[in-house]
Amino acid sequence: MLWHKAWLETRWRFVTGLLILTVMTGVSVYEYVLALRMMPLADSVLAGDASPLGAVLRDAITVQREFRGFIWYNAFRDNLTTMGVLFAVLLGCGGVLAEGKKGTALFTLSLPVTRRRLLGTRAGMGLAQCFVIAMIPPLTIPLLAPAVGQQFSVVDALAHGLCLFFVGALFYSLAAFLSTMFGDFWRPLLIAFGVACVAAMAQFAAPEYGLFRIMNGEDYFRNGTLPWMGFVTSAVLASALLYGAAETLERRDF
Amino acid sequence: MSDHLAIETADLWKRYDDVEALRGLNLQVPTGSICGFLGRNGAGKTTAIKVLLGMARPTKGTARVLGVAPNDAGAAAMRQRIGFVSDEKDLYDYMTVGEIIAFTRPLFPGWRRELEQTYLATFELPPHRGIKDLSRGTRTKLALLLALCRGAELLILDEPTSGLDPAMAEDVLRALVGHVAGQETTIFFSSHQLSEVDQICDHVAIVDRGRLVLGGALDDLRGRYQRVQFVFAGEAPHASLKTPGIVRVQRQGRVLTVLTNDSEAVIADARALSPASIDASPVTLKDIFLESVRTED
Amino acid sequence: MLMLKPNPSSGVPIYLQLIEQVKYAIATGAVRPGEQLPGIRPLAEELVINPNTVAKAYRELEHEGVIELRQGAGAFVTDNAPSKKDTEKLRTAQAAVAVTVERLRGRGVADADIRRLFEAELLGGKRGE
Repeated sequence: MLWHKAWLETRWRFVTGLLILTVMTGVSVYEYVLALRMMPLADSVLAGDASPLGAVLRDAITVQREFRGFIWYNAFRDNLTTMGVLFAVLLGCGGVLAEGKKGTALFTLSLPVTRRRLLGTRAGMGLAQCFVIAMIPPLTIPLLAPAVGQQFSVVDALAHGLCLFFVGALFYSLAAFLSTMFGDFWRPLLIAFGVACVAAMAQFAAPEYGLFRIMNGEDYFRNGTLPWMGFVTSAVLASALLYGAAETLERRDF
Repeated sequence: MSDHLAIETADLWKRYDDVEALRGLNLQVPTGSICGFLGRNGAGKTTAIKVLLGMARPTKGTARVLGVAPNDAGAAAMRQRIGFVSDEKDLYDYMTVGEIIAFTRPLFPGWRRELEQTYLATFELPPHRGIKDLSRGTRTKLALLLALCRGAELLILDEPTSGLDPAMAEDVLRALVGHVAGQETTIFFSSHQLSEVDQICDHVAIVDRGRLVLGGALDDLRGRYQRVQFVFAGEAPHASLKTPGIVRVQRQGRVLTVLTNDSEAVIADARALSPASIDASPVTLKDIFLESVRTED
Repeated sequence: MLMLKPNPSSGVPIYLQLIEQVKYAIATGAVRPGEQLPGIRPLAEELVINPNTVAKAYRELEHEGVIELRQGAGAFVTDNAPSKKDTEKLRTAQAAVAVTVERLRGRGVADADIRRLFEAELLGGKRGE
């Protein structure tokens, strides 16, 4: 029944996230058709531009000329990564400490379950939700691609889904950990977003090790290799954060 | 630590930042009793209850509930034998009455299904109503149902009748009393309604400023405490009576009134002052309480 | 047998009030030897008082030989419960009290004062002066 409680507490965030990401991804597929029409115009505009910015833009257009590239550039690189982080963090917020504001924390804590178990079921449900939000939207691409006369490999979709999941799980765990330190809803949310911004900036400095590079599966897109080190690092950090959350919760006075 | 005590604390201290909520609390609640937990607001009642249930860790001292320390490894299992109602009585507002019962039931192996039906009827709880739509009184009754159906050996209730009208409060008291009869169930409840403590409790524990100031069997206390009035022919003497057991002395004109827990000793000592008449009358729990928590002057 | 709700704030312990009620009921013939008294739990629930208190009252009554507690069956009034002689004694006492109260009222003593005097006499009188 603890699983059911965790579900009831997070279901709207989950459903909203799933819907938004799925719709966004589906829309990207159709946007390709529009993009193709715009290509010749873009080419002519950039033809004579020798500046570095021009070079970047030309590179971006080249990538997006192909359906696979277009999808990677728009869906995985931009939309899904951003929204994925957002909803992973949203799902991670809450928990027993937040219940304290509503007064039900005492009821929950008086139940014959350890705080570890409370956190464990909540995290289990949350990570499962992150997994679904990471996997389902990418799978709409192979489904919808034929409608615009294109093809997209299911294996590719699953691979990108995994990339989204591992880093998403990391942000989930961060939010969950922050939620055992701060009782209100806002501070964990804002701090987690702050961390995301810092990670994005760090990625500019060292693109090779970028967190979001792992999340959007750039290596897989360009070379077909999954970022295993990235997965492992994310998993280890996420576990550490959840362990930290359990320990913090254990010592908390209500 | 003995097992004829359902709750036992020894020199329990709890500090929250710079506030000392409990300052050496020594509580002893015998198994099978109905014990009233009295104290002014801020005396530490809710903090004590939180410590007993493992929601807050003691700064110093020990506590034992049903023989188990509240932060031990076995504490979760111990809580299977406890029913609790918080003073805010907040319950999950995203569930219905039926859902929260279904949620709570599997966590307690001793859950009494038949009591569920009884209390749903007695307390008039609509199973499909959302908890967020319930009035405070109805929420209280739901919280009590959830506590009473667990088949618990110990009920810890923080102001169970607050916010209830007198009829509902009586329903609750009746349910509590019915629950105890025949079983080795202990009820430990805090209350500001001294009348209900008088009515159903056989033990009391009075706390003030984080400490126990008076505790024990209620009949005992009622028997021991008396108000003795001495009337003198002239002005009441100002000689201070040094008899142990005197709680308070009041002088007004020719009358000397003494509140004491040993009237025989006081009367014996006061004879030396040659009173014209001596009058002893019983003291209500309210008087005992008010005197126990009065600030020192 | 109808039991009245005891007054918790009267200063007299509830179990004593119950004992008195039972004895009075026997003395006035409201309940006769051999008849059953209410069970501990139902009585506690009806009066909304602690079952331990009822149990204590019943134990005391058994000790005094007024009732007997039969294993599994309940509480029954014994045959050597206050006899007719005691009923007479109580009736005579009742009459004496009535006379005294009337006399005091006649002298202008208020009812509240009469009550206080009786209580003081009962409590303080034991200690002697």
